[in-house]
Amino acid sequence: MRKNQLESRQRFDLRMLFFFAVTPLLLGGLMLHLLQLQWTQHEKLALQANENRLNIVPVLPVRGEITDANGKGLAVNKIAYRVLLIPERVKKLDETLATLADALQWSERKQSQILKRIKSSRPDRPVLLDDKLQWLQVSPIAARLHHLSGIDVEAGSYRYYPYAELTSHLIGYLSLARKSDLDNGFLSTEFIGRTGVEKSFETYLHGTPGSQQEEVDAHGRRIAVIKRTPSIMGQQVKLALDIDVQKAASEALGERTGAVVVMDVETGQIISMLSQPGYDTNRFITGLETEQWQEWLNNPDKPLLNRATQAAYPPASTFKMLTGLAGLGQQATLATGHTQCPGYLELADRNLRCWKRTGHGDVSLHSALVHSCDVYFYKLGDQIGMGAISDEAQKWGLGEKTGIDLSPESRGIIPALRPNMMAAMNSSSSRRKHWFRGETMITAIGQGQLTTTTLQIARLAAAIANGGKVLKPQLLADSESELMHQVDVKPAHLNMIHNAMRDVVATPGGTAFWALRSAPWKMAGKTGTAQVVKMAQDDDKKGKLTAQQVLKRHKDHAWFMGYAPYDNPKVAIAVFVEHGGHGGSDAAPVAAAIIRTLAAKEAPQP
Amino acid sequence: MIRALRSLDWPLLATMACLIALGLVTLYAAIHQGDAALWRRQLIFLSIGFSVFLFLCFVPVRVVGLASWPFYIVALLLLAMVPLIGDVQMGARRWLDLGIMNLQPSELMKWALMLVLASWFASREADSLKDLGVALALALAPASLIIIQPDLGTTLVLLFAATALLIASGLPWRWFGIAVTLSLASLPVLWHFMHAYQKQRVLTLLDPQSDPLGAGYHVIQSTIAIGSGGLFGKGYMQGTQASLHFLPEQHTDFIFSVLAEEGGFVAAFILLLLYTTLITRILIISSRAHSRFGSLVCIGIASVFLLYIAVNIGMVSGLLPVVGLPLPFISYGGSALVTMLAALGLVMRVAIESKDHIPWQRPGSPLV
Repeated sequence: MRKNQLESRQRFDLRMLFFFAVTPLLLGGLMLHLLQLQWTQHEKLALQANENRLNIVPVLPVRGEITDANGKGLAVNKIAYRVLLIPERVKKLDETLATLADALQWSERKQSQILKRIKSSRPDRPVLLDDKLQWLQVSPIAARLHHLSGIDVEAGSYRYYPYAELTSHLIGYLSLARKSDLDNGFLSTEFIGRTGVEKSFETYLHGTPGSQQEEVDAHGRRIAVIKRTPSIMGQQVKLALDIDVQKAASEALGERTGAVVVMDVETGQIISMLSQPGYDTNRFITGLETEQWQEWLNNPDKPLLNRATQAAYPPASTFKMLTGLAGLGQQATLATGHTQCPGYLELADRNLRCWKRTGHGDVSLHSALVHSCDVYFYKLGDQIGMGAISDEAQKWGLGEKTGIDLSPESRGIIPALRPNMMAAMNSSSSRRKHWFRGETMITAIGQGQLTTTTLQIARLAAAIANGGKVLKPQLLADSESELMHQVDVKPAHLNMIHNAMRDVVATPGGTAFWALRSAPWKMAGKTGTAQVVKMAQDDDKKGKLTAQQVLKRHKDHAWFMGYAPYDNPKVAIAVFVEHGGHGGSDAAPVAAAIIRTLAAKEAPQP
Repeated sequence: MIRALRSLDWPLLATMACLIALGLVTLYAAIHQGDAALWRRQLIFLSIGFSVFLFLCFVPVRVVGLASWPFYIVALLLLAMVPLIGDVQMGARRWLDLGIMNLQPSELMKWALMLVLASWFASREADSLKDLGVALALALAPASLIIIQPDLGTTLVLLFAATALLIASGLPWRWFGIAVTLSLASLPVLWHFMHAYQKQRVLTLLDPQSDPLGAGYHVIQSTIAIGSGGLFGKGYMQGTQASLHFLPEQHTDFIFSVLAEEGGFVAAFILLLLYTTLITRILIISSRAHSRFGSLVCIGIASVFLLYIAVNIGMVSGLLPVVGLPLPFISYGGSALVTMLAALGLVMRVAIESKDHIPWQRPGSPLV
């Protein structure tokens, strides 16, 4: 028994050794593991702890303001509050959104839109929930912020356009950053210029975001602000535009659709650029509803179209100066001679008509321009040929983009016809086999396939006024002139055109006499009336238009272009009235209103 | 009285005092921004625990041995009642509502099983199949009741303590090898019966980054806390992970991260050194014990402490899956503190008896 007991005791002691060995082994292993964490991995984990603790929140820059030449705000910033949400920090999304919806009176629709926006964003990036809020609206939320984890109320500013519809095409609009913008380093809460000056001068206007380093707890609640790098406000952009001139042009145009461009003759600065109808650019800031966008898109008046730069129309009789200059340049006999206008011109089996059925009788280049005789220019065009006409048009900057800092811009169309192109058009492989004589004649009076933008016509008027300098249109107030072409034209030829354009306004038979006879500045100008019946009939067939619209669409486009004062030109004006009727009675009065406004500004203040 | 004081095991008492002091200091840091009442409650639990400790210093080990069977039976009955009338908390049925307090019978069972196995093997060795069979039945009955609660952590503690006692009682290594092999082989079966959240915990352990905001979040945050503490720590009450609430359960299961973040490796090292001292001291007392029962009880207690420490620190530092085991003397919690102090009371009694030469052995017992 004792021996047994001894053996048992010995065996027990041996087992005891096992436990004595296991304890330091196990705890020593733990120590090594801790040493690994706290020594070799210390730096990495300390950094992570810091990242945990410190949250870097972007501070959005204030966008630079856009003003007109006199410092009147066209795009300004207003103080307001916004509510942001960081998805990964929100504990109970439904409850939180319900609280916010209640406080901010969100519609069901808005709630679902917001939910969609949250679901599609990155969980660690703030999502903009509501914007342009006044303090009274956000104060109930601000008071409960410590219960609403992941929600932030931020004071900021929003864009406001005091002359929204008046300047919509020129100034453009903003919208929240899209996915592609995020790839370019923008934040999802930033507004970015989409059209107009807001887009063209985005890099100046945008400014540089700052950041704020915040200490946060595990629930993402801000404990303290550690460091703040302020954002840098975007630069101011001062346009050459005069909003009063723009207003005058808009009022003169009234409800009609159309475009007006007023340009400084020497610098190319844009004093007014109007396209009607406009649209309310402020709508984009609150988040444009799809319905509104669709309504604008489907509106037959195309409010989203910038008629001054994007839309090209036949220039009609405003083109006749170029046909005349081409004739003078070619030393065509007709350019210095006379011809008879019986009211029509026989060509093969059809008649080309003059706008004046009874005819102008004996006409020279001067009288043909003053009275806008079509027959004279049919004949002149026929004499010099299509190549000469298109060469002249290109010299004066038609058929090419003006290079204005607004996109998209239309080039317009100049049918260019030179011997080799003629051959191509006459070859049997070409779909279009022949260029008819008649087409050259139609082009000579600014109709047919020829199209130009209102901006191009304004620049043409400036170039005629300043002695053949084709300038780049400038949007900024203090920009210097930029010469694109110097047209090689004899001063004597240009003088003939000047005199004719003066008499269009100055003589009782001139097409713009009645509209402009009482304007404070003596003007030189040219009216135009572009036929559209053929084009409108195509539209009717699609069955899109109401009876009234069809009637309207049969009316001709009205043009006026000119410069003033004619003896010392300062401004060039182009007015286009879509389906306006007649240049003299419908477009020229708009120019008169503009001249009156400009003259009133120059008059010494009492 | 002087004799009684002299017969106390002072190294054990000193280690215990150091651990308790370190625990109170750490707990204060963990909750200083939150509920100061918790700290006061911990002091109350401490005084209760110390009373139990003192009481058990005066209870002869022999009496404990005799009481172990009834204790086990009561614990087993309570455990059996849990599935029938237990309270459901946090998705698990583990508690009995006793009116004045919620009792978790599995807590009692840990100690009851240890005592009953020590008592069973006090007079025999674990090398006969019959004796082993009884021991396995004693262990597996409560284990199966606890695993259905479900409470994987406590089940593992139970099985681990039983295994430790079997090893101490002379279970042939061969059999132990077979048992380990069988357990490993049964892992797929166990996996099949595991709850989704338990599986998730195991998977998360293998790759915490796979679910950084879900199950892996706590482990990642506590690993960051420990590692960012570095060698010397961020300073007392300066831990950012702790004060900004990135640590989960930072005053209970995850309190070690607070200590390691603010005290660095130095503090963690001191704590582990204290634990090593404590367990080694319990094993020394076990080896000097005058009864096999006393020895086995000490080994059981040392094993449970070792398991708690290794699992808790392993879990918060990303080595083991997350199972809710407290860190002895450091974690907040009344029942853990009281039962651990009680266990040390038993150990102390074993130490006192070995010095006083108090005999209790029945004639014919294998150990004198």
